[in-house]
Amino acid sequence: MDTKLKHHPPKWPDRFLEFYCNPSRLEQIQGDAYELFYMNLEERGVGYARFRFFIHVLSFFRWGNIRRTRPSYQTYNHGAMFKNYMKIGWRNLLKQKGTTFISIFGLAAAVGCCLVAYLFIEQVWFKGMHQENKDEIYQITYTAEGENGKTTFGTIAEPISEMISEALPNVKAQTRIQIDLPILIHKNESYFQRAQYVDPGYMEMFTYSMLYGYPGALNEPEQVILTEELSEKLFGDTHPIGQEIALVSNGEEKIFKVGGVFKEFNDMEMFNFDLLVNISNRSNAELTLPLKDAWKSELWTFIQVENGTDLGDLNAGFAEMVKTQNKIDPENPYLSIQLESFNDLVKNSENIERGVVSFLAVAPQLLLAAIGTFILILAVFNYINISILMAFRRLKEIGVRKVIGSNKGQLIAQFLSENLMVCFMAIVLGCLLAAFIFVPGFNDIASKNLKIDLFNDAYIWLFLGAMLLFITLVSGLYPAIYITSFKPINILKGNQQIGSKSLLTSVLLTFQFTLAIISIVAGVAFVQTNYINSNRDWGYTSADKIIVNVPSSQDYIPLKNKLSALASVTEISGSQDFVGNWIREEEIVFQDEKYEISLLNAEATYPELLDLKLKEGRMFNPELISDTQESILVNEAFLDRLGLSFPVDEKITIDSASYAVVGVVEDFHTVFFQMSIEPMAIRASPDTTFNYLTLKMTPGTAASSMQAVKKIWHETIPRGLFTGKLQTEVFDHEFNDVKGVSNILLFSAILAVVLAALGLFGLVSLNMNSRIKDFCVRKVFGADLGDLSMKLAKRYLIIWGIASLLGGGLSIVLVSTFLNSFFAFNSGVGVIPLGLGLLVLFLVIAGTVSSQIWKIVRANPASILKAE
Amino acid sequence: MKGYHLGELEELILLTVGILDKEAYGVAVLEEIKNQTGRKVNISAIHTVLNRLEEKGFLKSYMGGATEERGGRRKRLFTLSATGRSAIEEVKNLRNKLFEQIPPLALDFSHGY
Repeated sequence: MDTKLKHHPPKWPDRFLEFYCNPSRLEQIQGDAYELFYMNLEERGVGYARFRFFIHVLSFFRWGNIRRTRPSYQTYNHGAMFKNYMKIGWRNLLKQKGTTFISIFGLAAAVGCCLVAYLFIEQVWFKGMHQENKDEIYQITYTAEGENGKTTFGTIAEPISEMISEALPNVKAQTRIQIDLPILIHKNESYFQRAQYVDPGYMEMFTYSMLYGYPGALNEPEQVILTEELSEKLFGDTHPIGQEIALVSNGEEKIFKVGGVFKEFNDMEMFNFDLLVNISNRSNAELTLPLKDAWKSELWTFIQVENGTDLGDLNAGFAEMVKTQNKIDPENPYLSIQLESFNDLVKNSENIERGVVSFLAVAPQLLLAAIGTFILILAVFNYINISILMAFRRLKEIGVRKVIGSNKGQLIAQFLSENLMVCFMAIVLGCLLAAFIFVPGFNDIASKNLKIDLFNDAYIWLFLGAMLLFITLVSGLYPAIYITSFKPINILKGNQQIGSKSLLTSVLLTFQFTLAIISIVAGVAFVQTNYINSNRDWGYTSADKIIVNVPSSQDYIPLKNKLSALASVTEISGSQDFVGNWIREEEIVFQDEKYEISLLNAEATYPELLDLKLKEGRMFNPELISDTQESILVNEAFLDRLGLSFPVDEKITIDSASYAVVGVVEDFHTVFFQMSIEPMAIRASPDTTFNYLTLKMTPGTAASSMQAVKKIWHETIPRGLFTGKLQTEVFDHEFNDVKGVSNILLFSAILAVVLAALGLFGLVSLNMNSRIKDFCVRKVFGADLGDLSMKLAKRYLIIWGIASLLGGGLSIVLVSTFLNSFFAFNSGVGVIPLGLGLLVLFLVIAGTVSSQIWKIVRANPASILKAE
Repeated sequence: MKGYHLGELEELILLTVGILDKEAYGVAVLEEIKNQTGRKVNISAIHTVLNRLEEKGFLKSYMGGATEERGGRRKRLFTLSATGRSAIEEVKNLRNKLFEQIPPLALDFSHGY
């Protein structure tokens, strides 16, 4: 028998046998082969036995013995098995309602956030994807030699559209598209609206659902189609069809009838407009332009080809167009004309100059995606932690199952199917949360029009499916594999360490806390910055001033005269741009060096009227001719940039005229705090007309005089659009934007804290349940409350400490980078946001632990220890 | 006559299984054949035949009797089924019937040709 212990059948043939042999025959065959091996071993020695074993294995390699695709033993009923998985899973979830709720709610919140981020990104990248004919629509583009080599342009010479029907075969529909901002006048109110001038073919090519009217309305040149939003704004509840509106473009007024109203758009539409107008109504359309000028005017041109057209057939036509164009307009030679598929307009937007899509808004996409991922990670970690702990309470079940004969795969399938159920519920709940809370809220904040469109949007199903799979696998795979890898004998003997202290749980919790800290710090720091900025000194007095726009130079003098006659107006002054808005940049020369600075052309009285604070020198004196012709005022940043100090002896050259610096004003904010204060010069321009008038009112009358100012303005300029506002309101738009961002950040911070709290609560309570006897014994022996709390809380406090260091450090780096990219003026990550972040988390831990300790305090040790 | 078609090896193995009576499995059959007839049959051939006979219904099998030599694997033990027994008898009877019909002269080699 000694030899038997020493020698074994050769490994490789044995494995080969196991590999090919039909499992139902393996035992019989392998057993015989072994038996023969040991027989041969005793009779003839090792070498021979091995050789014979090998021969036997080969000789067993027969058709009847070989495993084929479907081993006969695997004919058990899969349906019943999965049903069983689901049933057990469902019972398990019901048994743990609290923790199940925590998991589902957390995941659902994360799914909701991700859905919002997804919708936002989708509406940027999949614009126009709901158009029925999208595969047949193409934009005609041309390539020409530009400044930076070959450039493709999205616009094309207008007369080319007239050649399409002759030169290009298989074209079903065509349209030119031009965007304009005419003034819309209805019932003596005027509005700026985005009008899109198109050919009637536009409505054949693109499909919109109509609320009123019919898509063919544009065939009548004097009809327009409005969006639902505009129609509601203009007509309210009255039926809009047949109503009259006037459009003023280039000073010409035309009357139109409303021929149709579109249903509300969502953000998936390629074109943004408020009304569609037949292109024959453009202000210059009736003028017969010289041929060459007609070719100079460029616009977007789209064609729709017959289904299945070979695009190569169109090339001959394009070549002819290029030839015609280059003959008529040789200064702007085309290299080629080609088509850009409607589906690729967004994707290729970077390569097309003057294309339909020019702005992809990458930063907000990144921000939202980051927040979504943040929350998702938090929720998934929660779930991993909780599901590991939950699984530890089922160790016996796992042990018994293993002993009975479940293999690892089946146990993993059991756990994953439970996960799948949780994730499925989370996704359904997440969609509901998103549809009724997150998306409307986000639309409100970001003035967007996102919608979850389950019926038309195939991508969203893909996204949800991918989320389901991803969350299930990421959150379930590790716990399932970990738990099922235990040896049944250890489990049943009770040797298996109950791993609530496992390293992984601590790491995940640390990570969660860190994320929570970062998001709190980001939210608080942003709000703090907003608060400080809203109280920031603008560098001048904004009260009691009204800014009024002047549409054209001939209106300037009459408007100025009439407004000065108003009783509450104390002073009036004109300027080219106004403080609080973008100011044009100009190049100046000083000591042969060139600088880019902001240059504000204004009347000599403007700086004083605005109450700019004089630092050195003097303001302009309107009486001095030299002041209105060769003097400038500069701000402090200007001196810093040029490295000067006040009495500036040398002159500064602007536009080849030289100017003397007569005074220095303190820095003031012309644009919002996102930008730093740029060097700026104010030139008392000799011009007599300006684009804006600023009125200084008697104190306290600015807001109440607005109506009167507007009335005078409309009397003077009947066909104009009044965009006047109070000087105090110039940053309102930016404040709103920033407020939106800070709301989003605060929301995500709150969500992160809630998720971390829920996860912690789940962990602590599970932990507590498994150690309640331990605590009761301690209580019986007289441990006091403090000791018990410390015992339970110690681990979490250590984690809190580590997370504070990590989160604090990371947030100082990350959040201040973020703030700096957002604001030139920010409060940075100071003590308040950091302290608040750490404190909130500490309170969460303290609250959770004390809620569990309360259980012990109230518990009667006798009844708990007696059980079992 | 509707017969039980048995090949030569099949018949031999069927008989051996009968002899071994509840102890018949691959290696045992192999050894028994070697001892009784001196014939060395390949083990895989024996397996194939055993399985085929079982499919035909001449043999029944069950798993049992793990031993150390087999690395703890069980043997597949074969026994004769009723059909198997009648098949052997049929074959034997047929042989005997045919044998008895051979004229005595044909068996007498004393004439010498």
